[in-house]
Amino acid sequence: MSRIIDAKGQACPKPVLMAKEAITAGENAFTVLVDNTTAVGNLQRLAGNQGFDVSVSEADGVYSLAFSRNGEAPVPQAPVAAAPCGAGYAVFVGRDIIGSGDRELGTNLMRMFFYTLAQSDDLPASILFMNAGVKLPAGDEQVEEHLKVLADKGVEIHVCGTCLNFYGITDKLAVGTVSNMYDIVSKMQEAAKVITV
Amino acid sequence: MDYCVITFASTNGAIQAQRYLKGEVPFQIMPVLREISKGCGISVRFDPPALEQVRNILADSDLAPEEYAFYGITGHSPNLRAEPLS
Repeated sequence: MSRIIDAKGQACPKPVLMAKEAITAGENAFTVLVDNTTAVGNLQRLAGNQGFDVSVSEADGVYSLAFSRNGEAPVPQAPVAAAPCGAGYAVFVGRDIIGSGDRELGTNLMRMFFYTLAQSDDLPASILFMNAGVKLPAGDEQVEEHLKVLADKGVEIHVCGTCLNFYGITDKLAVGTVSNMYDIVSKMQEAAKVITV
Repeated sequence: MDYCVITFASTNGAIQAQRYLKGEVPFQIMPVLREISKGCGISVRFDPPALEQVRNILADSDLAPEEYAFYGITGHSPNLRAEPLS
């Protein structure tokens, strides 16, 4: 019977540190218990980096990750403690202009933001639109064009369906997935940081 | 030349110009290229075939000729070339 590491209720990055400790101690097989999907994702990445196979099972909201060493050489990396929790970054857009003040200037700034983002090499994992922000993928031609480029490059675009419905523009959505609070919150949790525009 | 940009002496000029161009020619808003100016600013990007039309629209507008400038852009940073279009 392999050792069981109970990391339920532990905040990120504690579960990863506990697993790392077992790996450093030379254990070849152990099981980690956690209670959130962010920790599951982080532990799966740790296993991949450290030359471990991992199988995940879930019962009553508790995820059980069985680690076993697969003989592959660990990938050299920065210490886990220094690594951020989650991966990549998400951009949250809760309005249709940048900042407060003049609307025309704010619209220009928003278009330039997406123009620049679409041309950059460091892309977000996801872009999340809520409230008046949904008017951008459903009505702003220039922003829609940049979002299509970003989507083609693999950026996930989630657009709040409740908000589209509220503004009566659901049929105008030109790019992105009609999404809900569950998905949007989970994209925030998966990201190492969330940038609010 | 891949595309044209117009830069402006003031942010208000950039916003005013969009009002004249809207509905007349397709254009996009972009930040002023670093190759043109180190400052922060709004520029208007459009396709080269529309150059004459854009010139005419701005010439007929309330914007004075010294308030804006045209550039022809070729390539991408770091090999981007920005040539003033007189």
